Amino acid sequence: MRDNTLKYLLVAPAVVVVLATAIWPLWESLRLSATNGRLSRPGSMQQYMEPLWDQYTWAFRYEPAFWNSVQVTAIYTVTTVALTTGLALGLALLLAPGGKFRSGVQTLLILPFAMSPALIGVSFRFMFNPEFGLFDAFFGTLFPWLADVSWLADPVLAFAVCVKADVWGWIPFLTLVLIGGLASVPQDTIEAAQVDGASGWRVFKDITLPQLVPVLAVVIILKSIFSLKAFDQIFMLTNGGPGDATQTLSHNIYFAGMKYGQIGYAAAVAWLMVIPMIALIFAHAKFVFRTD
Amino acid sequence: MTGAQRKRLFGALQVVLILVAIAIMLVPIALIFLAAFKTLRNIYTLNLFVTPTLENFVTVFEQPYDLGAKLWNSTLVATVTVALAIPVATMAAYSFSRFRLTGETTMLVIILATQFVPAVVIVLPFFVMFRDLGLLDTRIGLIAVNLAIVMPFAIWMIKGFIDGIPIDTEEAAMVDGASRLRVIRDVVLPMAAPGLLTAGIFCFIIAWNEFLFALILTNKDAVTLPIGLALFKGEEGDLWNLLSAAGIIIMVPMFVLALAIRKYFVQGMTMGAVR
Repeated sequence: MRDNTLKYLLVAPAVVVVLATAIWPLWESLRLSATNGRLSRPGSMQQYMEPLWDQYTWAFRYEPAFWNSVQVTAIYTVTTVALTTGLALGLALLLAPGGKFRSGVQTLLILPFAMSPALIGVSFRFMFNPEFGLFDAFFGTLFPWLADVSWLADPVLAFAVCVKADVWGWIPFLTLVLIGGLASVPQDTIEAAQVDGASGWRVFKDITLPQLVPVLAVVIILKSIFSLKAFDQIFMLTNGGPGDATQTLSHNIYFAGMKYGQIGYAAAVAWLMVIPMIALIFAHAKFVFRTD
Repeated sequence: MTGAQRKRLFGALQVVLILVAIAIMLVPIALIFLAAFKTLRNIYTLNLFVTPTLENFVTVFEQPYDLGAKLWNSTLVATVTVALAIPVATMAAYSFSRFRLTGETTMLVIILATQFVPAVVIVLPFFVMFRDLGLLDTRIGLIAVNLAIVMPFAIWMIKGFIDGIPIDTEEAAMVDGASRLRVIRDVVLPMAAPGLLTAGIFCFIIAWNEFLFALILTNKDAVTLPIGLALFKGEEGDLWNLLSAAGIIIMVPMFVLALAIRKYFVQGMTMGAVR
């Protein structure tokens, strides 16, 4: 067989799978979002088109729950991205020099990442349990005013626990990525600067950090994407509560579509969420293809 | 303080910080391990030194929890997903790596992008379609949607591995008159094998931990392990001892797999984004 035919035949099955499992559902979601379909109607959904615009503006005009979840998601994304990136950078700088001890720690870092996010949610719910949670026992003894705090019953504290669980789950992976980035910073430039008497902070600020910018950008973009669609952990940890204090957009869509059966509306909100994500994905793709 | 002293102090400080980080990292995992070997009453006492019991690991497999069925579902769904995804992804990855295709960059960007599309967007149409086709709560349905998340990863990761294989051996074999398909089978596949294994394990972990699709598309027969966690709610609240035992069954196999491919783990996650 000629290579010219073969090369397309080889790609074809993968393209079909991606079209069927990703592109089609995206398109179908867009179509659903223009209907006011409900799950409760038996058989195929009865759909009558409304002006597409109505479905989308509905979210903004009549659904306080939507606005709430937009705010929750925005704050959640900003805090988790800032905290994970900052702490991961610190940890990466600590671990980058290598050696037996530090490499061993790097290996350990894989564990949280292989853990199911749903299980991380369970684990944190366990830890912050006011009756016997470890956090309560430990910090309650050290700092008496923290004893018997019902972490998950208070809107702000529950949100904080969700952020902690997220940060805990993501720091290890981002640290490993940043260690990879640090390894590509030319060592001789750093040594030359040190010989010239530059302080550790100056070396970091003027040599390491500028070299690290592309990797940091990728880290921030990736983490933003994953923070925007956060669901598993929060579902297991607070299920959006108390009230709707930790209801992210994904959770809001899940509720609207699966609990209340408003699948058309849910699809519209889902698409509203896809829009900022497309921007991030393009930014990410730009970095991926920058050397090609 | 002399320079050497300051340096030693700085080094000690670093080690302390690293140890603190390890402690924070291991606590939630250790907690699950401790609770899994305790009775529910002992968990409430927070006593570290109690006679460990294996009872929880027996109970989770009994009715009404029947974790065995979920374990089987998870294993089957993840295995079949990987078995379908890896060959298809390898073929595509080889072609992307070795040939110039019309619209290649577009295809690669779209494949990369689909990996980040929120599952909650994709799942709505699948729910409607599966309901009409009678595929709700089936393992086949779950495998189909799992392909959606695994496929882009697999293609990009394997492409990265094949890009790293020097093209000379292939060309030499072609000069000797071997056909392209023979070259792929006899030259490329053996050299790419470690990469394929890594990608396979990586996809297995993703499919195993997948939560949202299984939550929405299954309810009884095809329920997987992560969804099974929701079972352990008694009348008095969460059954932490059983939750922890189930947690161990979910996470320990993945720890083993992840450690087996630790060198490529990060590379796989970023799919060549950070070189």
